[in-house]
Order: sequence, then structure tokens, then C-alpha cells
Amino acid sequence: MEQDAPSTDAVWDKAAIQALFDPQTGWLDRRVHSDEALYRLEMERIFARSWNFMCHESQILNPGDYFINYIGEDQVICVRDEEGKVNVLLNTCRHRGNALCRAEQGRAKSFVCSYHGWNYALDGRLIGVPGQSSYYHGDLDRSRLGLVKARVDSHLGFYFATLAEDAPSLHDFLGDVGRTGIGMMVAFGEVEAVDGIQKNVIDCNWKIAVDNLFDWYHVAYSHASADTAGFFEIPKILYPNNQMVMLGEYGHAISGPGTPKAEQDKIDGMSNADRMAASRDQPRGTPRLRPHEASEVMGPAGVRSNGHPNIFPNVWVTMQGLQICLRLPRGPSKTELWWFTFVPKGVHPDLRRAMIWQANHVFGPAGLLEQDDGENWSQSTRAARGFSSRKLGAALKMGLGHDNVTTEDNGQRYIETRINEHGQRWLYRSWTEWMAANDWSELSAAHSPIPAGVV
Amino acid sequence: MAAMEKSWPAEKPRDESGLLERALLQHQVEQFLYDEAALLDARKYREWLDVLVPDIHYWMPIRRTVTRNDIELEFTKHGDMAFFDDDRDLLDMRVKKLEASSAWAEDPPSRSRHFVSNVRIVGVEGDEITLDLCFHLYRTRLNTEVDSWVGRRTDVLRRVDSGFKLARRHIFLDQTVIRSTNMSTLF
Repeated sequence: MEQDAPSTDAVWDKAAIQALFDPQTGWLDRRVHSDEALYRLEMERIFARSWNFMCHESQILNPGDYFINYIGEDQVICVRDEEGKVNVLLNTCRHRGNALCRAEQGRAKSFVCSYHGWNYALDGRLIGVPGQSSYYHGDLDRSRLGLVKARVDSHLGFYFATLAEDAPSLHDFLGDVGRTGIGMMVAFGEVEAVDGIQKNVIDCNWKIAVDNLFDWYHVAYSHASADTAGFFEIPKILYPNNQMVMLGEYGHAISGPGTPKAEQDKIDGMSNADRMAASRDQPRGTPRLRPHEASEVMGPAGVRSNGHPNIFPNVWVTMQGLQICLRLPRGPSKTELWWFTFVPKGVHPDLRRAMIWQANHVFGPAGLLEQDDGENWSQSTRAARGFSSRKLGAALKMGLGHDNVTTEDNGQRYIETRINEHGQRWLYRSWTEWMAANDWSELSAAHSPIPAGVV
Repeated sequence: MAAMEKSWPAEKPRDESGLLERALLQHQVEQFLYDEAALLDARKYREWLDVLVPDIHYWMPIRRTVTRNDIELEFTKHGDMAFFDDDRDLLDMRVKKLEASSAWAEDPPSRSRHFVSNVRIVGVEGDEITLDLCFHLYRTRLNTEVDSWVGRRTDVLRRVDSGFKLARRHIFLDQTVIRSTNMSTLF
């Protein structure tokens, strides 16, 4: 039918993009946090290309249940249809582009446009057009004007969608590290979403919010007041010399405290009941010991990690899988944070209460830790707009060249070290690869393999 | 969320005989609210803690944009996710945090102004008085940050020898996506 608009916002050429981050020195050009043209290109080459987290299956259990999310700045409706299938539909009417759905979540029989009444089924088909036989003379081909449907797939109950026809399968996109990160969320058993997603806006570039999740260096300083207040004993949750990093293809990574192998061997010898008992009455924020079954979804190396996975580009799995935080881009200097919370199905009510208590008080805009993050990010973003400030670049040098990658028998690779910036470097290195590639085949061919040897 | 709406017009004519007593109570609870707000605006957080009862519940559920058909989903229910779901211990911690030398979110300190209006006494039971009111919390930070939080509150005041103490504060904000970097200020 009609032609689409030109399909690229590229202003930056490949060499210029590749020069924005130097993995050999850890030098990052701060224009990645402020440049408008780079931001527009991110919408095309990162978000419209990758698999994006949509929701958990428990959020849309019944036919007609829907949840609104985003792929970049494109709003999408995640909805379960009458056959029980989950569809992800671009929330824009094919007539004039109006948003069909204005609520954040709810139940619908179909989606009717408030502008002229075009009506779409839960699977996106255009099923009703007022005046079709009269004003349109019966010559409007409804079959070609359904809502745009994204490719949808799920892993362990977590739904993802992509608008890229040439994207690899979700399984291959996630790779071992992405799947381990999602596995962390079901390590204590199948989960369901707790009702309520905290959402707030921070005036920062989305990547600063992402790179901060790998940053265990800031915890003792930025969050010192949460320790003073008696909320968390930071020395007991930080494990500065027992850090573990897993780098995955396409930018996924996990970084943070890790259980040393000798200790894990002891845990492996314990029954699940003993592990639960040992996890009781620990200081707040101390990792709970996972049951035997966790190894199946996390692998022998992954199961030792109590760090923070990021599913590239913007899905942070945190607090041992209790929560996901999405960092949704809203312009080069604006990011929405969405906090999802999951608890194991059938968990004891006391434990459920304790988990929700923790989720309500650690993160989110009023969280005793997260309160102190926002201005670090907004002021770093603001400074990246200053001509002389941004010329200085950012220095991601910690641990560079000092660590070794170990490979497990099952092929999982990990780094065991002290507090470091491997995760941040991997994020920006992968980001330049996504941004420099013209399409998925180029990205598949040119992206960095998981490092081996010295990093 | 328990609806605290008073039916209007009143089903029976108002009892004129108790008018003075009601006006006095109205005056007393409003003075309490103004004094309490002034403590927060003056950053006298420890003194503010003194006006809370030990079993206080301080709660702000999450609000959502939903259609009229789904309006029962507008607020999260107690026990699910919330922005604040605090008992006295947690509020003590928030104040300790504000007093810490490393409370970066409030250093330089925010400038806040707590307004309360449309105060209605919707219940008097034993020593507890339930209020339904509107609030506006205006906050500025650094040189250019402005936050404006408007909403409805249900407060429960408990009579004590010295006057009143705050026994419950449920905060229903008129925002769904919070348009702020954080909520490090007390409501």
C-alpha cells in the first residue's frame, strides 16, 4: 500500500559512534548522555531493534486483561485475547494515529478509537469502521489496517516483544546471561506480580540509570544515610571483595556480590529446609540462600550471583529477583522508572509481607536508598550538556586489565574480583555496537563475543 | 479505600444546638494541622515525630490511570505496593536519615510549604477524630527544581492530654506517574 516514512534517523556515522567509547581505556564520551541525534538513533537501533520487557503473565491473566508499556517511546498494549494468546499492539490508530487506549491497565472487550470510532479486536484486527459502506463507499480494505503487532515471546512467565522482524529468537537474544538474570526471579519458585507499579520521572539520561545498577562503588557513599538511619547495614550487604561479574552477548550483564565457590559447596550440601532456616533472622538485605532447584534456571555459576542483572538495554533485575526496574527513555535527559514486584506463588503470608515491605522501602521515589540516587544522575546528565564539562569524558577505569574470566564446565563465564566497573564498560561497549550496526545481521556478525582471558 | 464522602445535602437538618461545639472542634483540629505542617516546613523533624502516636500508620498507595469501568483499580490496596507504607519505626528511620550528614537528597535542604484546606470532620469515635482534607505540598530544590504534590488525605487524630496526636495519615495523591526525582519530603 502506501510508503512508510524514511527508515533511519542516522546523523552519526559508524566511525564516530565507535569512537564514543574506548574499551581499552574506559574513556566514555559524555555526548552519549546528552546528544539529541544519538537519542533519536537509540530509538531506532536499540529499542525498536531489541526485545523489550512487557509484563509478567500474572498481570494479564484473563482474556481482555491489558497492560500498557513502551518500546522506546512507542506505546504498546499488551493484551490477552480470547484464545489466551498475548498480543503486543502499537497503541496508535491506523486512521489518524490517535492512541486507542489511555489507561495504564484494565480490561477490554476491544479497543475503540475515541476520535472516529474505529474498533480493533484484542488481536489487533480492525473489526469496525463507522461509515464503511456509506462514507467509504465500501472500498476500505480493513484487512490491511489492523494494529501493528510486535513479535511476542516469553521466558519463565516474563513477556518480551520486539518490533524487529529480523531479530533473533528471544532465547538467542537473551543468551545464557539474560536467561540467568530472568532465572534469578524464579529461583525461589514460580512467581506472581504484586499489584502496583511505582512510576516516577528523573531528569537523567536512561543509560546513567542503567550503568548505576552495576555500580557497587557508590553504595557505601551515596546510600550512607540509609545505614546511619539503621535501615541497612551496608558493610553486611556489600561484599566489596566478593564481587562476581557475568558478561553476556548483546550487552546483558550481571554484577555484584557473589558467593565464593567453597561457600556454595557448603550450601549445596544443605537441604532446602536448612537453607530456609539459615536465611531467617539475617540482617535486612542479606541474600537468602536459594533452593536446589535454582541451579536449573541460573546454572552453576549464575546461582552463586547475588548481583544485579541487566537485560539489555533497560531491564534491571534487583534484590535477588524480587523486583524489576525498567528505565524508559523520555528524551536525552528524561527517564521514567517503573518498579515491578514479584513474590513466589503460595509463599507464607509473613514472608510475602516481609518481601513487599522491603520492595516498598528500599527503592521507588520514597525508598530509603533510591531517594539519594536521582540527583546524582540528573546532575551528571545536566553537566553532560556543558561544552567544557562534556569534553572531559567519563572515566570507567576501575579494575580494567586486572581480572580474569573463568569458564565453568557448562560454558558459563564469570569474573570473581573486588568492586569494579566491568559491567559499565560492557554496557557502553555493547551500546556502541548496537548503535553502529545498520541491522540485525550486521549486529549479529559484529558484536563482541563474551570475553575470555584478561579483562 | 474506605470512602469518607459525606452525603450532601444532609439527610436531616443540621443540629444547630451543637454548632458552637463543632466550630470549636473544627478550630482545634485545624490549629493542630497548621502547627504540624509548620514543624515539617521548619525542618523540625524530631519535634514532628513527637506528634505521632506509636501505632501510627502512614500510607500512600499507588494511583493509576484507569477507565471508568475499571475505577476500582484506581488505587492499590493496603498490603500491596505503595509509595509509603510506614509504621512508627520506619518514620523514625526516615527522620534519622534526614538528620544524617550524608542525606544527599536533602542536602542542600529542600524548601517546602505544606498547605491544608477543605478540612472536614467526618467521624468522631471515642478519642479519635477522622478528617478528610485537601493538601498541597510545594517543594523546591537546588536552583530550578519544583515539585507540586496535590491530593486528598484522611487523617485520624487521637485526643491526648496535651491536645491531639496524629494516629493515621492516608495520602491519596492526584498523580499517577510521579513527576519528581524523589519523595524525600514528608507529607
